[in-house]
Amino acid sequence: MTGPPATGGGTGLAAREGDRPTAAPRPWVGYVGLVARLAVGGVLLVAGLLKITDLTGSVQSVMAYELFPYPVARLIGSMLPVVEIAVGLLLVVGLLTRGAAAVGGLLMLLFVAGIVSAWSRGLAIDCGCFGTGGPVDPEDTAYLPDILRDLGLLALSAWLVVRPRTPLALDSLLKGR
Amino acid sequence: MPRPPAPEVKPVAARGPSAGLIAGVVVLVVALLGVLVWAATRGGDLEAVGSSSTLPDGGGVSVGPGVDADVTQVRIYEDPQCPWCARLENQIGEDLAEMVEAGEVNVTFQIMSFLDGNIGNDSSKRSANAMLCADDAGVFLPYHQALFAEQPAEGAGWTDEQLVGYAEQAGVDGDALTDFQACVAEQPHADYVQDMQQRANEDGVNSTPTVFVDGEELPQEDLSRLIQEPGVLREVLEAQGR
Repeated sequence: MTGPPATGGGTGLAAREGDRPTAAPRPWVGYVGLVARLAVGGVLLVAGLLKITDLTGSVQSVMAYELFPYPVARLIGSMLPVVEIAVGLLLVVGLLTRGAAAVGGLLMLLFVAGIVSAWSRGLAIDCGCFGTGGPVDPEDTAYLPDILRDLGLLALSAWLVVRPRTPLALDSLLKGR
Repeated sequence: MPRPPAPEVKPVAARGPSAGLIAGVVVLVVALLGVLVWAATRGGDLEAVGSSSTLPDGGGVSVGPGVDADVTQVRIYEDPQCPWCARLENQIGEDLAEMVEAGEVNVTFQIMSFLDGNIGNDSSKRSANAMLCADDAGVFLPYHQALFAEQPAEGAGWTDEQLVGYAEQAGVDGDALTDFQACVAEQPHADYVQDMQQRANEDGVNSTPTVFVDGEELPQEDLSRLIQEPGVLREVLEAQGR
């Protein structure tokens, strides 16, 4: 485990930064990344665990979007929790951060697309993001908050793709880093 | 002429495994687990045999003149633990039983059990099995009424004793009651219960109660009326049906 490089001191550092392209330029950049990792990873991990303990519900949540026939919905509903848990774990421990964040961001894009699609077709469903999907009363839909949450997580994922080096990450133990 | 051997490549910093190796392992593990989980969601091929009045392909319990009879066909998707299903049954159950008795409608109960996963118990599956036991004992409708009339508070579920008790209420006694007890304990209809849930998934029904009349889904406002206003069953069915 290595913390962010000690760049305190102030003057004369800017010139040296070019020598170490992978180093975080300022300590707070690393900590933003750490927070991003824990936020995106934590949400994905919880979402995946809630889904995998109720796979029937997970498949139903996918069916509720009325986008896929049953066999496809079953494939998505069962595979998605596994991917969410894997990406969530990787981000929380900081392993393969860039790749995991890229997959996490891709998931968020797909989720936003799905929710926008459901909203625009006038469906009244819970997004099923945390395993409690299916139809709800029209006044109980939460499309906008769901979309904003996912866009926020997308932004954090994008940050990690650009700056994957963070403190307290297993990535620092990998070869050649 | 043999080529000169390639120069030996020395790792720059031989600390720990490479990112590529880890990535490969992670992708393999995720793929393997994904396939396992996917396989776990595969039900049977809807081949289970249910009780005396069940339809093939996990199609539910049919009571009345039959699904091919030229009468109003009602199809109810319900989960024993769904509170609104209980309110629906408590409101229309008796009227529905009368119309079935008179041969005016045929009702098919598609008994789902997805709330087990939601709530974290197994009461939907056990009580669905018990309803099929009641079907074999010839008391499906009274049993169905008793079960929903005494639906426990949110998520508390039923004990086996309660499930047997409703059969006694419905008039099952003697050897038949002993058989019923065994049926509740051994859950011989578990496979069919699973098929009913899978069939509902394949039908695209993921909320309960959902009611179809002559193949058309009953609109939400009519369903709400059925649940809230007593005595409107016939009127709603006639307006919805042919």
